[in-house]
Amino acid sequence: MWLLALRDLRLEVRDRAGLLSVLAFLGVTLFTMALALGPEEAPLRRAAPGVLWVALAFLSTLLSTRAFALEVEEGTLEDLLLAPGGKEWIYFGKLLFQMLLLLPLSLLALFLAAGLFYLPLEKGLPLFLTLALGTLGYASVATFYAGLLSRLRGREALLPLLLFSLVVPVVLASVRATAGLLEGLPLEEVASWWQLLLVFDAVYVTASALLFPLVMDG
Amino acid sequence: MLLRLEALSKRFGRDWVIRDLSLSLDRGEVVALLGPNGSGKTTLLRLMAGLLKPTRGRVERQGHALFLPNPPAFHRHLTAREHLLFDLAFHGAAGDWEGALKRFGLPAELPLAAFSSGMKKRLALARLTLLRPDLWLLDEPETALDQEGRALLQETIREARKGASVVLATHDRALAEAVADRAVWLGAA
Repeated sequence: MWLLALRDLRLEVRDRAGLLSVLAFLGVTLFTMALALGPEEAPLRRAAPGVLWVALAFLSTLLSTRAFALEVEEGTLEDLLLAPGGKEWIYFGKLLFQMLLLLPLSLLALFLAAGLFYLPLEKGLPLFLTLALGTLGYASVATFYAGLLSRLRGREALLPLLLFSLVVPVVLASVRATAGLLEGLPLEEVASWWQLLLVFDAVYVTASALLFPLVMDG
Repeated sequence: MLLRLEALSKRFGRDWVIRDLSLSLDRGEVVALLGPNGSGKTTLLRLMAGLLKPTRGRVERQGHALFLPNPPAFHRHLTAREHLLFDLAFHGAAGDWEGALKRFGLPAELPLAAFSSGMKKRLALARLTLLRPDLWLLDEPETALDQEGRALLQETIREARKGASVVLATHDRALAEAVADRAVWLGAA
């Protein structure tokens, strides 16, 4: 799992174009939304959690497509499928690769959003926990669908259609938890959203790992 | 019996590419698949590897199969050393990757983007010798190889048959006659 994730990370860093496009997308989305909603502080702060999670959702979708595009463009997916051992390790490797990129990118997005949307960052650690739980839930489903669609034409159009219906609970819970933390709600009140995210993460990761070998078979 | 195909058929859309093909293969055997373009050689290799599901019939395979596509697939941003080290670790195998690169006359630290088609084919063969599958499925392995590369290919196949079986799809009858125990002719469907 680590082998595959670290190899993909190396490929992504050496390719540069993919990573740069992801970074550019993140920056442009946040700046555009800040320009569109600003300059008053109150509407910017109110919209910030939603904007942040829309940006992260699209970011995760882009990265999940990249995770398999690396293999499909070069024709190396079949090599991975023919390796001994379960195909679920391919899923875990690809998911880990995305999380290794998503976690620092989520932090970057949070700092950018803090600057553009007047966000207080006193609850840095709980905010990071929310980002981690939310991105894991989103990426777990995105990775599964990206793998499922990797050998189909029109996958870029199909992926968001299939994905967004399933990840609505994760996005909602993430937005609510983020908004609660930014509004200064006590952690006990936010914890119920974290519990919900934890449950969705566990269900999505388990179900995806179980189904992945079946959908990649033949 | 390492591989058995029973009344195997494969259809893409309305077109039957393979119809009712039966074949068995013992360890140590080398079989050449011959036939014109579009006769289903690559499809048959992919069915044998388990990369495609048959429309009808069965594929029974024992042991580990690896498929060498034509052209071989590699990540252009990795070096030969990085590729082989990843493959060895991912397949849970151990082997002398430096020796393999030396034998096939390949540089270790050059990104694969700078490799010629022939060098990539050599690297694919080096990879197979290191991973030592039970069943080697080679799709036009002679393509892009120079004279020395072709000699290495024949040598590699002869070595592989000592512990494994080889199925190669080829247009090169001389290669088939030199290395194969038998040939299967696939006509256009």
